[in-house]
Amino acid sequence: AGQQINHLHQSPKYLHTAGLQRFGSASTQETSAASSAAEDQVYLTKSCVKRLAEIMEKGEYLRIHVEGGGCSGFQYKFSVDRTKNEDDRVFEQGGVGVIMDQDSLEFVKGATVDFSQELIRSTFQVLKNPQADHSCSCGSSFSVKL
Amino acid sequence: VNKRKILPTRAALTLTPAAVNKIRLLLQDKPEYIALKVGVRTRGCNGLTYTLDYTKDKDKSDEEVLQDGVRVFIEKKAQLTLLGTEMDFVESKLSSEFVFNNPNIKGTCGCGESFNI
Repeated sequence: AGQQINHLHQSPKYLHTAGLQRFGSASTQETSAASSAAEDQVYLTKSCVKRLAEIMEKGEYLRIHVEGGGCSGFQYKFSVDRTKNEDDRVFEQGGVGVIMDQDSLEFVKGATVDFSQELIRSTFQVLKNPQADHSCSCGSSFSVKL
Repeated sequence: VNKRKILPTRAALTLTPAAVNKIRLLLQDKPEYIALKVGVRTRGCNGLTYTLDYTKDKDKSDEEVLQDGVRVFIEKKAQLTLLGTEMDFVESKLSSEFVFNNPNIKGTCGCGESFNI
């Protein structure tokens, strides 16, 4: 981990441009489309809804949690949860739900949750996160816009 | 000059039973493909990442791994990198993925997808 941090410090310019390229299209889209009411939304793709419908039993939600860690500062954690806490927000679509606490939502609002299927791995991902400055190649870790 | 056959003492890549089952399932309904091909590509925050593809034929330089009836080819570029690696398939409710337990690597990225040698 120490090596990674050094590496990040040595080449901030490169990382910054890479981040701009990766999120350039997404962030312009989001700023033009996001109205004040929809800003706190999290969007689900079709494949995400379909996959959740397949695997989730009644009363189960996909919880997305943001915590410190990963090579870029923050990372997304996915889990299955049955309990809704007081400060949780639920985003429902097509009979399935994604659940998030308020603190995590601050880092993810406006983003899209997708289920990506590839030969090497199939997993849930957060895409087009307007709060993220740049993210790791795997998409699980990101740094926040300041 | 004798045609000497060099016999490998052990396979370059071993597959766990879970990986064998998954590969068999993947190739079962696709008769046009004969194997999966493992490679490495420069990508990610830590240098390299694994790639996995269906393949229709074997390149001359590919290393063939045949285990329990399933075939995996290793790209020439990836052979040194992968030597002695165990390929596993891990499945949970939320995700499923092929995992490479590679004894040669020095470090990985937080997500485990990127690594360096």
